[in-house]
Amino acid sequence: MHIPDGFLDAKTAVTTGVLATAGVGWSLRQARQKLPARRVPLLGLAAAFIFAAQMLNFPVAGGTSGHLIGGVLAAVLVGPGAAVVVLTSVLILQCFLFNDGGVTALGANIFNMALVAPLAGYTIYRSVHRLTTGLRGMVLAAAFACWGATVLAAVCCAGQLALSGTVPWGKVFPAMTGVHMLIGIGEGAITALVLAAVARTRSELIEEGAPATLRKSYREVLVYGLLLSLGLALFVAPFACGWPDGLEKVAGALGFEHRAAEKAIIPAPLPDYGIPGVRSAPWVTAVVGATGTMVAFGVAWLLARALTPKEER
Amino acid sequence: MTTAIEVKDLKFRYHDGTEALTGLNFAVAEGECVGLIGPNGAGKSTLLLHLNGILPEKMDGTATVFVHGKPLNEENLPEIRRSVGVLFQDPDDQLFCPTVFEDVAFGPQQFGVEVLPAVQRALVEVGLTGFEKRSPHHLSHGEKRRVCLAGVLACSPRVLVLDEPTSDLDPRGRRELKALLRQIPATKIIATHDLELVAELCPRVIVLDHGAIVADGPTTELLDNEALMLAHGLERPHIMRHRHPH
Amino acid sequence: MRHDFLDSHSRLDSPVHRLPAGIKLASALLFVFLLVLAPLPACVPIAAVLVVVALLSRLPASFLVKRLLLLEPFVLGVAVLTLFQPHGIEVFAAIVARSTLCLFTMLLLSSTTPFAELLCVLKRMRVPALLVTTLALMYRYLFVLMDEGERMQRARACRTFERRRWHGWKALGTVAGQLFVRSTERAERIYAAMLARGWK
Repeated sequence: MHIPDGFLDAKTAVTTGVLATAGVGWSLRQARQKLPARRVPLLGLAAAFIFAAQMLNFPVAGGTSGHLIGGVLAAVLVGPGAAVVVLTSVLILQCFLFNDGGVTALGANIFNMALVAPLAGYTIYRSVHRLTTGLRGMVLAAAFACWGATVLAAVCCAGQLALSGTVPWGKVFPAMTGVHMLIGIGEGAITALVLAAVARTRSELIEEGAPATLRKSYREVLVYGLLLSLGLALFVAPFACGWPDGLEKVAGALGFEHRAAEKAIIPAPLPDYGIPGVRSAPWVTAVVGATGTMVAFGVAWLLARALTPKEER
Repeated sequence: MTTAIEVKDLKFRYHDGTEALTGLNFAVAEGECVGLIGPNGAGKSTLLLHLNGILPEKMDGTATVFVHGKPLNEENLPEIRRSVGVLFQDPDDQLFCPTVFEDVAFGPQQFGVEVLPAVQRALVEVGLTGFEKRSPHHLSHGEKRRVCLAGVLACSPRVLVLDEPTSDLDPRGRRELKALLRQIPATKIIATHDLELVAELCPRVIVLDHGAIVADGPTTELLDNEALMLAHGLERPHIMRHRHPH
Repeated sequence: MRHDFLDSHSRLDSPVHRLPAGIKLASALLFVFLLVLAPLPACVPIAAVLVVVALLSRLPASFLVKRLLLLEPFVLGVAVLTLFQPHGIEVFAAIVARSTLCLFTMLLLSSTTPFAELLCVLKRMRVPALLVTTLALMYRYLFVLMDEGERMQRARACRTFERRRWHGWKALGTVAGQLFVRSTERAERIYAAMLARGWK
């Protein structure tokens, strides 16, 4: 899901940059105030771990292999706020050392994979975990949260690409979301395996990662929620609601313009190409979405059963 | 002879309640080189962590460790951390900066000492001039150990505490480290399984077992005592077998 | 160390390598911005400059080409979606050209600048200490953890005869889990080492 350079236009790159800076800046500020000193080295090691874990080859089929992205894994292991810092570090390293993900797209990549994935994923995890108990419940919640986080991040990514005028929403949304519904299952499986392994030997590590009292961090939840909602509103809502040209007018009024040269090559995203995919078959999206969610939940449940011994119900 | 380190009735329990140290009493004079030996799990590393205040995690009033006469408490902690340099067992745990220079400079930076001269001096002392820009993961185990030692020496400690300094070193690395340690004039406390090293460097040795001191005396006497050595999971080193009484 | 694919050529010697990291970073960012924003014909002179820099850097051409080829699929994968619109081919070509040149720029940056120097630049730019420390520790222990993970995988492979894929996945998950647990223990030891040298 790393967006390379050249796929986002100026307004999208700037907007995502601002949101990413705000989100990461807020996490750093919270960490400076609340993170005990003895956990500081853990962030660095956790980042190295996520990176190293991404290198593990989980064989899929015929030579291809699956890899971990790590949003929910990080959030469960070190806490959501710290996970933002951890994943941002991983993305920065990938951008500057691996050349994976463009530097102008760093804002978008950080927003999708270091903010949306761990924060939304953690929210799903806690919500589901509240309804399920024990080790099995934890694994189930984590696996499903992974899937949800991956799909959500993919949707944001699609929105950013469509908003930049690079690709029409009607094409990028189903492509990205469809592919990541499958990738999300793999991600959920890998995360579930790792968490189950950690829980078996040192379960207190997982509890340590959770913030002490969720009630106290109301302000944190509020700030993150606001940021994510803003992002979704900017990148996804216009397409879901079918008013991309409305957003263009706003962008024009604010002074952001398409790349001048590209105007000659790419016609501005014509409403007829964005909207038909939405107007004619919104129910298709809904049905696919609902089916995907149920399948993911089912797979997560099977995983949890397979990973936990019968005694621990 | 001034006392560098004094330990009075030092007790320590782990989180799960097991007693790690059961009331230790000893003193080390300035300039002395003392070996600390004992079987695995005797509490050697735990004791070392008490000498610069990393343990106990919370200081609760009565000081049991005194460094150059000053009690080890919250107030004296920064000064004691500077005068007691600890070399940990795994150099990968202690070499945590991206380059050699930054790592050796870490201590001086924290203590407000002038960085460049301290780093240069320390690297010369351990024989690693020219290594400033190297990355730790490209160094050999022996080189990493020496960088860690440089990092500790850069703070000019008066007491040097070493935890298994020769473990995982090849014979050449071991010889080089031994020669280095001989040259350093600071007070030295060396916890180790390398009994030959103790015999060669330390005139005095303390034997620790099950969290208690079972013997404290001249190396030649204690290491030659086969019964004592075997009783505490050790053995008489070969160097002793070839030593003549005159 | 086998993991030379990371930060491999950054310590060679050349006029480009000797430039201060801050200048290289600023120039790279400038080039990328230009490549993304400027009209397409303007990218040609920029490409020429990049080739000159590449020659001056004495980086082996085979290395550069191989890395570019390795990274190109990521660009193509997303770019393919642009084909599904009017004038799709022109859009596709323009985007691939710009994106590949940006990749080339960042590749030149990462191959001529040790990551440690980039971190120093970040510190000078007053990036928050916690982020810089996390980046530094991550970079430092990356290789340590990868080696540990590899050793554990090998040890496990020596004791496993199971050919079924699920068991292979489960074993990898266990290795990863153990790796994390060991990493937390190592983080505690690093904390003690930092304290010992005066960190607050």
